[in-house]
Amino acid sequence: MSALDELRQLRRGGVQVRKSDNKAAFWFLAPWFAGLLLVTIGPVIASFALGFTKYNLIQPPRFIGFDNFARILSDSRLHNALRVTFTYVLVSVPLQLACALGVALLLNRGLRGLAFYRSAFYLPSLLGSSVAIAVLWTQVFGTDGLVNRVLGFFGVEGRGWISDPDTALSTLIVLNVWTFGSPMIIFLAGLRQIPEVYYEAAAIDGASRWSRFLRITLPLLSPILFFNLVLQIIHAFQSFTQAFVVSGGTGGPSDSTMFYTLYLYQQGFSRFDMGYASALAWFLLLIVAAFTAINFWAARYWVFYDD
Amino acid sequence: MLRGVRRGTAWAVLLSLTASLLAACGSGSDAGGDLTTEKVTLRFTWWGADDRHKRTQQVIEMFQRKHPNITVKGEFKEWNGYWDSLATTMAANDAPDIMQMDELYIASYAERGALLDLNEAGKHLDTSNFDKKALATGAIAGKQYGLPVGLGMYSIMVNLDLLEKYGIPVPDDTKWSWDDLRKVGEQVSKAGGGQVFGVQSPGINDAAGLSIRARQQGKAMFDADAKVVLPQEIARDYWQYILDLSKSGVTPPPSVSIEKASAGLNQSATATGTAAFGLWWNTQLTALTAASGAKLKLLRLPGETQGTAPGAYYKPSMFWSVSARSKYPAESAAFVSFLANDEEAAKVLLTERGVPANQKIREGIAGQLKDTDKAAKEYLDTVPVSDPPRITPNGASTLDTVLKRYTEDVLFGRTTPDAAAAGFIREVQSEVDAAR
Repeated sequence: MSALDELRQLRRGGVQVRKSDNKAAFWFLAPWFAGLLLVTIGPVIASFALGFTKYNLIQPPRFIGFDNFARILSDSRLHNALRVTFTYVLVSVPLQLACALGVALLLNRGLRGLAFYRSAFYLPSLLGSSVAIAVLWTQVFGTDGLVNRVLGFFGVEGRGWISDPDTALSTLIVLNVWTFGSPMIIFLAGLRQIPEVYYEAAAIDGASRWSRFLRITLPLLSPILFFNLVLQIIHAFQSFTQAFVVSGGTGGPSDSTMFYTLYLYQQGFSRFDMGYASALAWFLLLIVAAFTAINFWAARYWVFYDD
Repeated sequence: MLRGVRRGTAWAVLLSLTASLLAACGSGSDAGGDLTTEKVTLRFTWWGADDRHKRTQQVIEMFQRKHPNITVKGEFKEWNGYWDSLATTMAANDAPDIMQMDELYIASYAERGALLDLNEAGKHLDTSNFDKKALATGAIAGKQYGLPVGLGMYSIMVNLDLLEKYGIPVPDDTKWSWDDLRKVGEQVSKAGGGQVFGVQSPGINDAAGLSIRARQQGKAMFDADAKVVLPQEIARDYWQYILDLSKSGVTPPPSVSIEKASAGLNQSATATGTAAFGLWWNTQLTALTAASGAKLKLLRLPGETQGTAPGAYYKPSMFWSVSARSKYPAESAAFVSFLANDEEAAKVLLTERGVPANQKIREGIAGQLKDTDKAAKEYLDTVPVSDPPRITPNGASTLDTVLKRYTEDVLFGRTTPDAAAAGFIREVQSEVDAAR
């Protein structure tokens, strides 16, 4: 029997094992799969169909063609919501990633009690999009809140940060930046992958710390940076809880915290216009897809794969 | 439906997943039938402040003692969260059986078929002690979608302790104008030194404020056909007034006003004693007195004698409605009947939800009333009113959030009162049109 036959035999056997494994896997996956069908794919398909209807949640939907999509073009409050959302995404994501990378670099220097610091910095990520933290935020940035107390101590007159349309969005951006823990953990893992020899060689050649960061760390970390960027942009576009809780569901004051998702929610559940809300959901999908596509296209010019 | 499931025994996995949905198809009653003797649970939801929650819970327990097989589960929220929650549960086909309904929303829900015509459950719901006119406020096209709970009126609530502290006399409310309110507010703000202000900013949580201004000049927000007929100048003057109050420091800084307004009654400027005057329902006197710990008094609205007609009117403070999809419409109606007619229950509820619309109950509790409740009743009995405005049309239930947004735009200088007036009228009209 040649080695090749042996391999075939093995593979055939392997297939058999895999088949029964498959069966077990199927049963283990069944609940998840049922959930996916019933609570994800089903509603996704339904929302696509509803996008072409007028549907008030209680009476049966009525087909109205592309009216909902046409309205997207002329809805000035939606355009404001887009402006707010883009500002939020384009400001908070780079800041968040910069913080994540900065802290990851610090933690990577092998300091004592690393596990503790890592957990401490990661914690906000777990809590960040929770209702409790959003409520806490309204207290911290309220007129009588912590921020104003501290400012008051230094003789600076505070304001109602969350109830002033000039600053309300900034507080949400700060909240998002604060949750830099999850990209930080990924950066940390990435930093561990960079071979020490590169740094040693560079040190011998007399490269400064800054140029080592610029010429070794950044290029080798770029795939990780890219991954975090794509993920966090998608995540930021979908932000809802923070704005909903902080503004009491209104997106106010003056629509200044009106995230796209919040506007969508209001159309569906305050105005009972589920048809338009569905159309908006699909439009958001297009926007996120476009951003992701641009990201992948741009990645060819700055992401460096070492292998 | 149950038989269909039994046939498909192979779908055991699916069955377990959908069991909760199918439970909704189980036994139930119809509105005109007899009350069940099985154990049933009714869900009852309302909005309000702490005082209301305590009283309502007490009444629920009284009902449960009379009907040991019926459990009533109370779900209560603040006004803002209430409507979000009601809309989502309604959409999920999981609406509570009995709801506290507001004039602003009743047409929006009823015209979408979400509410039960209470006449269908007439066997269990006694409305004989209600005035026909009062009942009509909860009816649309002959169908009784809501049973009016109480009557309320807008009033200016004044903090007497603050005025006394600053030595400012209480204004004569029989002929005062909006200008007089501003002037006395200025005095308070001056004496308050940045801590206490004259007036709680209008236009943030009270859509009716604008409606009152229109009514005082013989106009209205909507006509009978649900068309927005509010004259733009009236809306402009309204926002100009609010802006003037803010600029002259009569009201707290805009960001403070907005923060307080979204935090609920107990955090309001009136409740925290940081503003001397505020626009409130007369029936909120008890709750606000409890929250502020101060001596509050009801004053008539300003401008009532300068215009062509009084702006004040009897508003059904709220309604009891039953979900059209309730499994237990008869039992729900019986519970509503208990809330509306039981004399013992009335002694607990008193005027917290308004001076009772049930006339027999109103007389029955007269001896039980606390001073604040008495004052609320007396206000209702003595202040001149004109005919109530038409019910808020379907689609316009976002009226107060739209108004609040324009007020914010004006207060923060993002738009002019004139532009706000035009934008507001256009937007409300398009909301009504969109709901048709």
